[in-house]
Amino acid sequence: MVKKIMLVDDDPGVIYTVKHGIEGLDSDYQITTVNSGRRCLELLEKEELPDLLLLDIMMPEMSGWEVYKKIREKLSDKELPIVFLTARTDRIAKDAGGFLAEDYIEKPFKVPELKERIDKILKK
Amino acid sequence: MKKRLNVSLSLKLTLIVVIVSAVSISSVTTYYIINQEEFFQDAHFPKAASLIQALNATIGSAENLVNYSTLENKTWEFISSSDEKIRPEILNVAINLPDSNDSLKIFYSTNEGDIGQESTYKYYHDLSYNSPSKNDSYFIMEHDNGNNHYLTYISPINLTGKVNGTVELDGTYEITISMNNAYATFDNNIRMVIFISILSLFFMIFSFLFLLHKITVKPIILFRDKAKIIGKGNLDTRVEIKRRDELGELANAFNQMAKDLKESRDKIQDYNQILENLLQQKDEFIGQLGHDLKNPLQPLVGLLPMLIEKEKDPNTKETLQVMNKNVEYMRDLIFDTLELAKLRSSNIEFDKVDLNLRKEAEAVIESQKLLFKEHNIIVENKIDNEIFVYADKLRLSEVLKNLVTNSVKYTPKDGGKITIDAKQIKDEVTVSISDNGIGMDEEQLKKVFDEFYKADKFSSDYHSTGLGLSICKRIIDKHGGKIWVESEGLGKGSTFYFTLKTGKFKNNEK
Repeated sequence: MVKKIMLVDDDPGVIYTVKHGIEGLDSDYQITTVNSGRRCLELLEKEELPDLLLLDIMMPEMSGWEVYKKIREKLSDKELPIVFLTARTDRIAKDAGGFLAEDYIEKPFKVPELKERIDKILKK
Repeated sequence: MKKRLNVSLSLKLTLIVVIVSAVSISSVTTYYIINQEEFFQDAHFPKAASLIQALNATIGSAENLVNYSTLENKTWEFISSSDEKIRPEILNVAINLPDSNDSLKIFYSTNEGDIGQESTYKYYHDLSYNSPSKNDSYFIMEHDNGNNHYLTYISPINLTGKVNGTVELDGTYEITISMNNAYATFDNNIRMVIFISILSLFFMIFSFLFLLHKITVKPIILFRDKAKIIGKGNLDTRVEIKRRDELGELANAFNQMAKDLKESRDKIQDYNQILENLLQQKDEFIGQLGHDLKNPLQPLVGLLPMLIEKEKDPNTKETLQVMNKNVEYMRDLIFDTLELAKLRSSNIEFDKVDLNLRKEAEAVIESQKLLFKEHNIIVENKIDNEIFVYADKLRLSEVLKNLVTNSVKYTPKDGGKITIDAKQIKDEVTVSISDNGIGMDEEQLKKVFDEFYKADKFSSDYHSTGLGLSICKRIIDKHGGKIWVESEGLGKGSTFYFTLKTGKFKNNEK
């Protein structure tokens, strides 16, 4: 069964790595990529919810943290699990306290490590 | 303490004022009393002398003297004509003639029975004195019997006349005046003087103190209070003393000082603001740099392991493996350098909470299990489940992770064993991470926490940045703990220790 994963990141390198890496390792995963927080929120409103959201923190215009807060106003963790893609400097940022309880993976990550994390959330 | 100082200053001034006033008032009073006494005597003696002269005149002649009855009348005339103020005080008037064997003939006495009597004068029974010689005009004696004071004036008589032929009579007049009233007046005067002295003493003390307080103590208290306010940082405070004396100058200097202080403080604050902004910019720069350096690495770190797995040609595979190792090393270098820079900045804040140490260690072991598997190393977590520490969750995992991976690096593949344990003594928890690895000699033990120090510089197998332990030291330092390492020597393994504050036990933890 195909699982849909939405990746929100503004970096083409990251997008390429996740899309080709994950889809290459497991054809059951289908990655949709979005390059801004605003676009992500629009898609979540209009289209079918993905099974998992991979969310970058440091993005221009709207940070991953803001996107996260907007999503959590409407959707619970069970309805849409979120994994943050973060650099260590981000999670030490002062306003980041809240998402520390959430799942995160540190950039740059190895694709198998990311896949293992995704497997844990989607297949258990 | 400051209050005591204030009281002590007033006390000192009071003491000085009391001493000065008491000395001056009492010397003035003493001088006055002594003078009064002399003045009092001086005022009475001439009166007595003039009385004697008057009496001498009334007697007039030897005939009169012999004829006592005439003399009595004359004496009465003398008494009644004498000074009204003295008259009531005249106790008696007597004449002493040589032929009467030192007995006195009393012409006037307040005790009427004595008049005309010829006897040893009763007031003089205990008195001996030399009769005055002819040449003395008069002679004065002051004497008393118990409570009564007397002044006796003795004046010689020398009369020549015809009484049964020509005679020359030599003798003395004696007038006794009561001094009781005079002394009473004198005592009253002295009492009054002393009373006035004491009154003026108090008046002097209070007025001196009032003036001293107003002139010195009050401005000093004002200065003290203003200095306290300035000490608290309120540099707009000014001392409002407008006087043309030293205190006025002091106030001007004080105000100028506050003004100068304020100016330099403002300058420092401005500089500080600039520095803070720069620091902020630096932190932002580090964050941005971290982000910008890490993102380009993502495809390399992410996809190289997959390429290596898929690659069939051994030469290409080896090349890819070398590339991968170097990419990972670069990633670690970026991580650790940025982390150390962050930890150096003063405004870093830790989010300290109570943590179950065993669970935190377990999570770290779990996250590194691939590494342990790769090295075939057994990791044992012996931490008691009841031990809690008060620390920043992420930083604690970082320390544990760095120490454990450090141990892995210096422990031989296959057969290596790492043990994590902790002991709680009161409010301090000591965590230990021991391995059976290559150990350390004394020089290495000293330098192991230095930045960029690597225990084995020549081994390229250990791709470490040399920053992990420095990061651990900074984190533990900032938690107020200690970190150290012990080793019995090369080949005998090492044990890293660090301490943290004990956290509160929480039973409801998942």
